[in-house]
Amino acid sequence: MNDLEGIGGFGDIDRPGTPSSPGAWDERSRAYLDGGSDLGSVPAPGSVPAPGSVPAPGVDPASGVDPASGVDPAPGLDPTPGPDVAQGSDAVSGAGRKAVRTVVSRQNASLGAGAGAGAGAGAGAGAGAGAASGVAERPAAPRRPAPVRRLGADPVKALLHRHRELCERAVDPLEIAAGLEAHGITDRTAARFRHRDVFSLAEEMYARAPRGGDTPAAPGTRAPSADSDRPAPPRAVWAALSLLPGLLCAATVVGLRLTQGQSRLCTAVGGALAVLLALRAALRRGPLGGTDDHTGPWACWLAGYALLGDGLLAAALGGGPDGPPTGAADGPWPVTVAPVLALTAACAPAAWCAHLFTTGARRRLATSRGLEEFATSVRPLLFGSFALFLGALAALLALTAAALGEEPAYPEVLTLGALLLSARLLAAHGFVHAPALVLTAAVAAEATALACVFASRLPHCGPLATPVEALVTAWGPGGVPTAACGAGALALLGHAARRLTRASAHARPEPGP
Amino acid sequence: MRIGLLTEGGYPYVSGDAGLWCDRLVRGLDQHEFDVYALSRDERQEDAGWVPLPPQVSRVRTAPLWTAEEDGVGYGRRTRRRFTEYYGDLAAALCATAATGPADPPGDAENASAMEADRFANALYGLAELARDEGGLVGALRSETAVRALERACRAPGAQRPAREARVPDLLTVAAHLERALRPLSLDWYDDAGLGAVDLCHAASGGPAALPGLLARHFFDVPLLVTEYGVRLRTHYLTAPRTTPAIRALLAAFHGRLAAETYRRAAVITPGNGHARRWQERCGADRAKLRTVYPGMDAAPFAEVGEAPESAADPDTLLWVGRVEPTKDLVSLLHAFAEIRKAQPGTRLRIIGAPDGPEGTAYLAHCQALAAQLFPDEADGPHAVGHNPVSFDEIGGPELPTAADAYASGALVVLSSVIEGFPVGLVEAMFSGRATVSTDVGAVVEVIGGTGLVVPPRNPRALAEACVSLLRDPERRARLGAAARARALELFTVEQNVSAFHGLYLEILSRTPIRRVLLDATGEPVPFAAPAEAHVPGRWTGPTSPLVPRSRPDWAVDPPVRATAPTSATEAVR
Repeated sequence: MNDLEGIGGFGDIDRPGTPSSPGAWDERSRAYLDGGSDLGSVPAPGSVPAPGSVPAPGVDPASGVDPASGVDPAPGLDPTPGPDVAQGSDAVSGAGRKAVRTVVSRQNASLGAGAGAGAGAGAGAGAGAGAASGVAERPAAPRRPAPVRRLGADPVKALLHRHRELCERAVDPLEIAAGLEAHGITDRTAARFRHRDVFSLAEEMYARAPRGGDTPAAPGTRAPSADSDRPAPPRAVWAALSLLPGLLCAATVVGLRLTQGQSRLCTAVGGALAVLLALRAALRRGPLGGTDDHTGPWACWLAGYALLGDGLLAAALGGGPDGPPTGAADGPWPVTVAPVLALTAACAPAAWCAHLFTTGARRRLATSRGLEEFATSVRPLLFGSFALFLGALAALLALTAAALGEEPAYPEVLTLGALLLSARLLAAHGFVHAPALVLTAAVAAEATALACVFASRLPHCGPLATPVEALVTAWGPGGVPTAACGAGALALLGHAARRLTRASAHARPEPGP
Repeated sequence: MRIGLLTEGGYPYVSGDAGLWCDRLVRGLDQHEFDVYALSRDERQEDAGWVPLPPQVSRVRTAPLWTAEEDGVGYGRRTRRRFTEYYGDLAAALCATAATGPADPPGDAENASAMEADRFANALYGLAELARDEGGLVGALRSETAVRALERACRAPGAQRPAREARVPDLLTVAAHLERALRPLSLDWYDDAGLGAVDLCHAASGGPAALPGLLARHFFDVPLLVTEYGVRLRTHYLTAPRTTPAIRALLAAFHGRLAAETYRRAAVITPGNGHARRWQERCGADRAKLRTVYPGMDAAPFAEVGEAPESAADPDTLLWVGRVEPTKDLVSLLHAFAEIRKAQPGTRLRIIGAPDGPEGTAYLAHCQALAAQLFPDEADGPHAVGHNPVSFDEIGGPELPTAADAYASGALVVLSSVIEGFPVGLVEAMFSGRATVSTDVGAVVEVIGGTGLVVPPRNPRALAEACVSLLRDPERRARLGAAARARALELFTVEQNVSAFHGLYLEILSRTPIRRVLLDATGEPVPFAAPAEAHVPGRWTGPTSPLVPRSRPDWAVDPPVRATAPTSATEAVR
């Protein structure tokens, strides 16, 4: 019999264990069992009514079935022994009657005889005392007065203890009722706890259970909802990918320095393509990845302007350019490589800053009590990440400019970096409209500036270039992109400060039912 | 009559639950037309396709519940205010203290509960109207506005305790869940060509499937019939993930209120058994609306077994048929069988059924080991090969090709479960005309009525004694078997199920005011222009009638003059 213990591992339902004693269901059945343990013998005259002496209250199977008895058996509600279904069909055999327990008589017995009467199966405690009472013991058992197991004055208490977890975490009585029913407790069982049905039993249990669930759940229980359900790529993957554009760009620059003529052109084109692909891969996943916002071409234009634009503008204002860019910083169309190199290398700090922001925001989300509190705690985080990124970008720019021997154009590069990062952050959190608009506007501003300068060469169109000339005179050729990107970055940063501090921006896309 | 059959994750998808029931219903009622409005539960289900549909299904419209596209409609200031108002009301109704608190005086509690129910309903219909008028509800439900409204409701005085303790992630989860649950509001089904054109909505389950029916009732006064074989709210409680109390409290409140509103608005509710009925009553369903309609099962395969004389079966064989899992308590059955064999040596037990899942497999192995331990093999003589008195078989093998064969192989069917819903195996045994001994669990007593013996669960001795009494009394066994078969044929056949719904449809329609009046050429209303049963032989309304009596509804062929405009949305708010 010991192997019966083994089934305790199945599921979390109540163990449908065998009864722990050979005792009967209740006092009455015990009387029957004691009186007639031999199944074959005629039951003792005193213990069982003589066959046929009891009127058949239910249905007579021979004369057909009363469908009404099936439609509404209401066994738990009816105090009369009328719908005693088993007996109803069983008016003939006394031996059968003693075996068949009926709902109502059982209920009456336990109700009438008080709490102490329900021996044997009290409180469903069959699972406990175990496998000791085996088959071997059984023949002796009926003759011996079985130890009376008391239900106790408070049968619900035992039930409460057994379903402690269910009761503590339940948010309303119906939840307990559903849980109890899933554990096999029916209205008939509830009657043994002196309740009309499972619902009223559940209400008592709900009222009596300590509301341990009211204290906020431990952080451990909340963590899964915050971190687990998104198939995030491993950090190593995006961290490595974010380094790739910078490395490729540096390799291209070195290649350009080392090659000449045809192969130099090939290196430039191949390098540009490789950098573009690497950028695409880096922005696909990780903290910067997310909703595809189709702003790639605009970002490329802005980077291209940083590479060629200043030289073109300066040359155009001076009447040039006289030839295609040669890649040299001192040619007729000077090229500034340092900003682009710094920007591509800044992919890595950008990814890390975005990661910092996202995880920080998520952590604050988990601990905030209110939406306002969350917004106020996230705002410094957002600006902090931005500042961190700009610092890293400035350092990278200084480094690349020194390495390449160029003059570092801080305002231009920092504004462009801020613009691109804010656009990317917004897009990664699902806000694609504003970044697309602002990037388009910045591109349009830069393009317009160039177009104006060239258009001013047409007859009668001289004044067109005046504002650009004034700007360049005041701040140099870098003034145009600085103004365009700076305005855009400020607008997007303001937008991000409002949108990214909302809790809904950090919600899971599909939290599941 | 045109019936709008509303399903969720079921018919007409191949893998849907309750699909068989819907299919039988639709095929059985070919005098009506069916428009199937199906919500699919996941992508896999959509990919699996549909079951073949009979010709009376004139239209199928499906919508996914598992995904929703934002339509990009942004709300202006006024619309946003409207949305915030409705959503705030909805949230407030969810956060309100459950009215069943013991401290409240009963009258006040009832009033408060009714008020909250009204508030919930108004908010729900308000959101539906907003979605119908303006669109963009999906985006709005996902927006910060919704989360803020939810937060306000949770922090409001009088909110229930778990709601007051809701933190930001809880609010986000609840908002996301509400967005998901309210997706049926954004569907394009609510127009005169869609649910406005049906005469009756029949929701095949509660919850999301009933939501379109509620809205059809709100917008077009289409009566709603709700069938629940398993109570949706109970399913929610049992399947809700373990999250924080705030989330569970708010979501339970939402599902509870939705169920209550469904029961309140439904014309008739048909629970599948007494258990579902009690839950529905508990959730506020009016008793007068409840009609228990038992699930129908196909009795034909068991006709031969059921009609054969009982003596044909082996009188010494006990049968257990079902899926093997721990809740079936086969261990108890084996112990009972040990007792039975003491009283009746030579009895055999056949356990017929496949294990259910890995748990069932392990349990089956355990039971087999226990049987081998309890009962040594027995042989007829010293030279014969022995057999164990307990045999384990599966339906579908060469020996037992069908379930009917399984029931034919024994004289007495035993059910030893400790947990049971609607006992399908018991009904099959009843169809087969077998006497049964079952444990008193689930709907067993309700199903068996007076036609079998019922013993308490987890009581092998009582089970054994009941079995022995029947094994020794073939006459009584035959009597009980015949009575069981008669009862099953009366209550649990497909025909009774279908005819019950047929009767309910006509009953509901008879209580529904005429919504469509057809006018003939002279402007007089045509009497009997829209017959209750769409397919009637011949024409009864004369040659002037624009009706085409077969296959297509009149209003779809030739747009008739509508004498009664559909009730406008605002008028319908009552």
